[in-house]
Amino acid sequence: MSESQSDTVQLIIPCRPEYVGVARLAVLGIASRMPFSYDEVEDVRLAVGEACTHAVERAGSSPSTIQITSTIGARALLIEVADNVPAGTEPSVPSEEAQNLAEAGVDQQGLGALLMEILVDEVKIDSSAAGTIVRLTKYAPD
Amino acid sequence: MTTKKPSQDWTQDDAETLFLRYARTRDSQLRDRLVAMHHNLVRYLAGKFVNRGEPLEDLVQVGTIGLINAIDRFDSGRGTKFSTYATPTIVGEIRRYFRDKAWSLKVPRRLQELNQTAARAQEELSSKLGRPPTIQEVAAKIGASEEETLEAIELGNAYDTVSLDSKVVNDSDSAPLSLAEFVGAEDESLLKIDAYGDLDQAIEKLEPRERAIIIHRFFKDMSQAEVAKQLNISQMHVSRLQNRALAQLKKHMDESIN
Repeated sequence: MSESQSDTVQLIIPCRPEYVGVARLAVLGIASRMPFSYDEVEDVRLAVGEACTHAVERAGSSPSTIQITSTIGARALLIEVADNVPAGTEPSVPSEEAQNLAEAGVDQQGLGALLMEILVDEVKIDSSAAGTIVRLTKYAPD
Repeated sequence: MTTKKPSQDWTQDDAETLFLRYARTRDSQLRDRLVAMHHNLVRYLAGKFVNRGEPLEDLVQVGTIGLINAIDRFDSGRGTKFSTYATPTIVGEIRRYFRDKAWSLKVPRRLQELNQTAARAQEELSSKLGRPPTIQEVAAKIGASEEETLEAIELGNAYDTVSLDSKVVNDSDSAPLSLAEFVGAEDESLLKIDAYGDLDQAIEKLEPRERAIIIHRFFKDMSQAEVAKQLNISQMHVSRLQNRALAQLKKHMDESIN
């Protein structure tokens, strides 16, 4: 692949828990196009899974979608996870996981973002009335 | 004024107060309570890594080591939430565990095993159901998630195959050859091996001097000059007799094949 060339893969999934696995599987294949170690591929996959799960939890039962755009470049893999769930939407019923964490004084939303920051090199989150876009960047090893 | 039992007071302490007291006293009982209080955080984070094939309890254990380190180093006066402070330490410990176990080297084997298990389950279910099973049915049968099952079917196969372009080195001096170069083509001369019996008979039909020339030239690897000397004739004569003998043989062989 030349310096300037990059490939793009797009996937649109319903914003529902059973499709998060579909996104994770696709990302596994996409991240494998990069010269990443297996651990790094898994880290990217986990980060995308987190971004999707976050969208799914906010969406609740509203009919929303998640668009995942992956750009496979020579130097980095950029994955955008964009949902159309308006910012500020809170889950109607917090998950059991969220309840457990709340008891320990943990803010789950912040934790998801923190986890993504640990797993990939750059995380940028933009929320608006139109939805949330999470941009994840993982650089190729030198 | 209501009086509370001291023990009740104790349990109602919030994390912040406990951290302040622990920082001052380094009391191991306080630390135990802080560890217990944040057990769910460790479980939550460890749970994110379960699909990498290690038991959740092992991951919770190494994550707890990270938690304890974080509790020991946490300074609540800095204004950072403990969960924010501890998460990188806990996750770091879990990731190091995979790295130290050389986990990535075992991935192909784990997937291959899961792939074989899935293939067996697929066969069993096919004969039981009288139709090919769905991925969900296979996943349920082998006790894996749908995602893991799909991954095992897809990647387990990929790991099983070796690229034809992969380099094979058979000794250190020679340049590596690709595997494709070792893959043989159908050897057509093998198909003709049956005809060798016929060749024997054809040679028998030659007149003695021609037969001698054929045997010396092609079975004993002698040169025309050597044969000429042996038979005490000229090399030109050998050449002529040889050509005639070969034409004879060809004629016999064509007759016996057709």
